[in-house]
Amino acid sequence: MSAHAVGVTTPPASRSALARSASRLRALPGSLVAGGALLAGFVLFGLLAPLVLGDPNKQDLNAAYARPGSPHHLLGADPLGRDVLAWVAGGVRVSLVVVVGVVALSALIGVVVGLVAGYAGGIVDATLMRIVDLQLAIPPILLFIAASAVISTTVLSLILLISAVMWVPYARLVRTQIQIERERSSVIAARLAGATRRRVLFAHLLPATSTLVLVLASLQAGFVVLWEAGLSFLGLGVQPPTTSLGYLIAQGREALGVAWWIIVIPGAVLALFVMSANLFGDGLRDYFGVDAELLEP
Amino acid sequence: MGGYIGRRIAQGLIVIVAAITISFALANVLGNPVDVVAGYNLSPQQRAQLVHAYGYDKPIAERYVTYVSKVSHGDFGQSLRNDDPAAQVVLHALPYTAVLVLGAILTACAVAIPVAIHSVLRRESRLDRVLRRGLALVQGVPEFWLALLLVLLFSVTLHWLPSIGASGVQSLIMPVLALSLPLMSTIVRLVRSQLVDVLGMDFITALRAKGLTMREIVFHHAVRNSLAPFVTFLALQLGWLVGGTILVENVFSWPGIGSLMVSATQVRDLTVIEACVVLVATAYVVLNLLADLAIAAIDPRVRVAAR
Repeated sequence: MSAHAVGVTTPPASRSALARSASRLRALPGSLVAGGALLAGFVLFGLLAPLVLGDPNKQDLNAAYARPGSPHHLLGADPLGRDVLAWVAGGVRVSLVVVVGVVALSALIGVVVGLVAGYAGGIVDATLMRIVDLQLAIPPILLFIAASAVISTTVLSLILLISAVMWVPYARLVRTQIQIERERSSVIAARLAGATRRRVLFAHLLPATSTLVLVLASLQAGFVVLWEAGLSFLGLGVQPPTTSLGYLIAQGREALGVAWWIIVIPGAVLALFVMSANLFGDGLRDYFGVDAELLEP
Repeated sequence: MGGYIGRRIAQGLIVIVAAITISFALANVLGNPVDVVAGYNLSPQQRAQLVHAYGYDKPIAERYVTYVSKVSHGDFGQSLRNDDPAAQVVLHALPYTAVLVLGAILTACAVAIPVAIHSVLRRESRLDRVLRRGLALVQGVPEFWLALLLVLLFSVTLHWLPSIGASGVQSLIMPVLALSLPLMSTIVRLVRSQLVDVLGMDFITALRAKGLTMREIVFHHAVRNSLAPFVTFLALQLGWLVGGTILVENVFSWPGIGSLMVSATQVRDLTVIEACVVLVATAYVVLNLLADLAIAAIDPRVRVAAR
């Protein structure tokens, strides 16, 4: 105020930058900010908490069934005296690894197949559409269960297994979008100007799908978290000592009458994780103004 | 119309053949079926005997042809657990899963459709917002965890309902609730956007001009007109619903496909697993075909477009 009074213009650079970014933040959809903040929290929790909390597999039979709020077990302990908080943190970490792996791999496969099908059409396209039908007809979880009867599940095989199913929505989305984009006058002009097929695909068509793929990927993340947890709950996902929220919930089931916290706490974390991923995905969709119907399964 | 049905049947058959192929590939390509069936503690002679007895020493193409021709006659072989025909084991479990899925859809619709109609009639009222936000919140909750919470509340704490098994209507309550709650928000959104679309059409304006109230229009005209896409959606969702059902069945030891599949996995009962994959896909194809026919019956526009 006093600066104005003496007529000196002193733009408080840092504050205005802060104010600008704050107003920019306000312009974002609320769900994007809230979901993003929650997800960032989960990433930090999954990365850092296991370092602080120590080995989640450490058994301490004296602490078996320790209630939440116990001095050494803030969120209680399971029937083997394993710390619920440490196990939950480890479970979130494994979930994150699986989500990142599956989203990256399935998006990659899906985009490539969608590009080819949308651009080339013909038999590739017809085959793809039958695969889409097929994927809707066989519940993915049935395939996961059947496959886990044959192969042993590790984090890597779980990523491959889930990706083998999850690429289909990307392929379908990209295919539809490419079919629209390739008829645009800019693309036709590029073709007429002598651009190679490769250049048309990668410089003109692919960038046009990137927003959609990003939004779809963020919306799929929640499903991946659910599937990993569900399979581990059935005893068909990653095996101990690898930590998983689903496995812990299954452990809690054995002690349902005596130790509610072994079910309620990891399940609540799981639900919150899925919800923040969905919230973030919805926010991203609104931010980019993507039509929701385009993304329906 | 005849051509349309023929085309849909042909597409359905392709899906079924592909499901048969996938089930064969899972058992024969991903791993070695003999090891899966027998475990890993066999002497070489025993192993060779077993390989011969099951016909696994024949080339894979020949095995595939044999498998397809047997399966197309409904013969999946014997369950490796107790020598019952695998198809029969699966068909015995299928109705239990069907009851859960159907119960979940009906319950979800019974709540979601009135909420959607209310939402259209009283757009952005407080009740509308509370209901839709609340249902959206439950959407992300894993069904199997919800099921366990219900058990914790109604069985362990209140002793109102049996926590496991399939004995009568009361053992249906918790599994159906766990499956339908997360489904409601999706149905509300779908029915609502359908209704909004229909309400924007010219014939609605004509009805308004005729002097009908919004209420009459929604109940007598808009709901019926938004039914067709809704039936398609439900039929498409079946596959996903079965996924949740499998986990929830496991919580309640409900004797459906999910429990069967998981226990078959534990003892590596490959024939039952194969039969599950193929028969569930077949059930899905048949249901979708029926849904398409139902829509063609409800909605004359589909009949015209399909010609």
